[in-house]
Amino acid sequence: MEHVDELISGYALHGLDAADERLVLEHVETCERCRVQLREMEAVAAALAFAAPQAEPPPELRERLLEAIGPEVVPSAPPPPRARWSWWPRVSAVAVPVLGLAVIALAVWNISLRGDIKDADVRSVAPIANVGSVVSFGGGQATVVGGLKPAPAGHTYEAWVIPKGETVPQAAGTFAGGNDTSFTLTRNASAGDMIVITLEPGSGGPAPKGPVVGKTSI
Amino acid sequence: MTDRRPGRDPSTEHLSDHGLLALTARGDRDAFARLYDMYGGAAYALALRIVRDRELSADVVQDAFLTVWRQASTFDPARGQPSSWILTLTHHKAVDTVRREQRRRAEALDEARESVDPAPAVEQQAWQSVARDQVRSAMAKLPDPHREVLELAYFAGYSQSELAERLALPIGTVKSRTFAAMTALRELLAQSGLNPEHEWNTSTS
Repeated sequence: MEHVDELISGYALHGLDAADERLVLEHVETCERCRVQLREMEAVAAALAFAAPQAEPPPELRERLLEAIGPEVVPSAPPPPRARWSWWPRVSAVAVPVLGLAVIALAVWNISLRGDIKDADVRSVAPIANVGSVVSFGGGQATVVGGLKPAPAGHTYEAWVIPKGETVPQAAGTFAGGNDTSFTLTRNASAGDMIVITLEPGSGGPAPKGPVVGKTSI
Repeated sequence: MTDRRPGRDPSTEHLSDHGLLALTARGDRDAFARLYDMYGGAAYALALRIVRDRELSADVVQDAFLTVWRQASTFDPARGQPSSWILTLTHHKAVDTVRREQRRRAEALDEARESVDPAPAVEQQAWQSVARDQVRSAMAKLPDPHREVLELAYFAGYSQSELAERLALPIGTVKSRTFAAMTALRELLAQSGLNPEHEWNTSTS
């Protein structure tokens, strides 16, 4: 069986004629190696999308789209056809939300084991977009728990506290991210404060320079 | 009343892209809306770069996301990231549109820069802004013939045989040059710490 590496690159760019396209599709049906190659090349092609100049979609597009998918109340969806090569779409649908809660519970448990903090000291759990949650404790300690992709090379995540009523973010420590992020802020926070996570170049600094990853008030 | 502002639905905030897509497959509109909030901007920017018309670009993006809605249940996670799928769908539809419309094609990347919009201020796209820098710097490092073939194929929608004609090269050379260019780009992205097979956002994974 002849592999189709060269054609796969053309396929990922949507540049093949019908005959070559069929060749690729038929080949990857039975060839694991080229299937992996195809997935990689499609991901590389999709990455190219980010080289396009930024542009903001017209605001009404979102409305239009949500209208086009039909009414609010959707009758129970037909059972999804089984994927050919994989069994895990079902698992992921269930496991992801459950995992979220489990991670938080575990973090609270770990924190309570570490010191003299008891569960009862947990004052609030605030969801923070893209990150997970901020668990705050009676003594002013705040811990960011959840899953963050590891910071890219040459970058770090940095946490900030904006005290209630103020506008200047106070640096509250840097962390690398990762699936089981559990990072306790180096600065106390109290009710009404805003917690912000940014992605900073280098090793971070006293004032935020990078984009905001998520924020929440506790 | 559900709060419809982008990125504010607390019930979907902690989900990975795979999780959002799995919920979309079950008819969850909030999960679908969140996918749009995360990748609609990138999809629109891509479509606009290719078709160079705002209305047609909006149609392309709508078409791509409707396909996501309808086919979410057939998406196979083994094939990669939902974000790659969404951008691939968008790319296909945009290229099909320029081919159909016989529009004058944008060629060099710089040519389209005149119509740059202000960057959308979307918090959750922090990761994407890093990705953007890395992809652009990787593109800049490619040898000219490699970059040229990728720009013409990906952003101007030239098929391999159109490329052969335009560059006055045998089709075999176009195929091997495309392969070399894509392989080189993959290496450069990997060196910069960006794995295109990972998610572009920062959700739980």
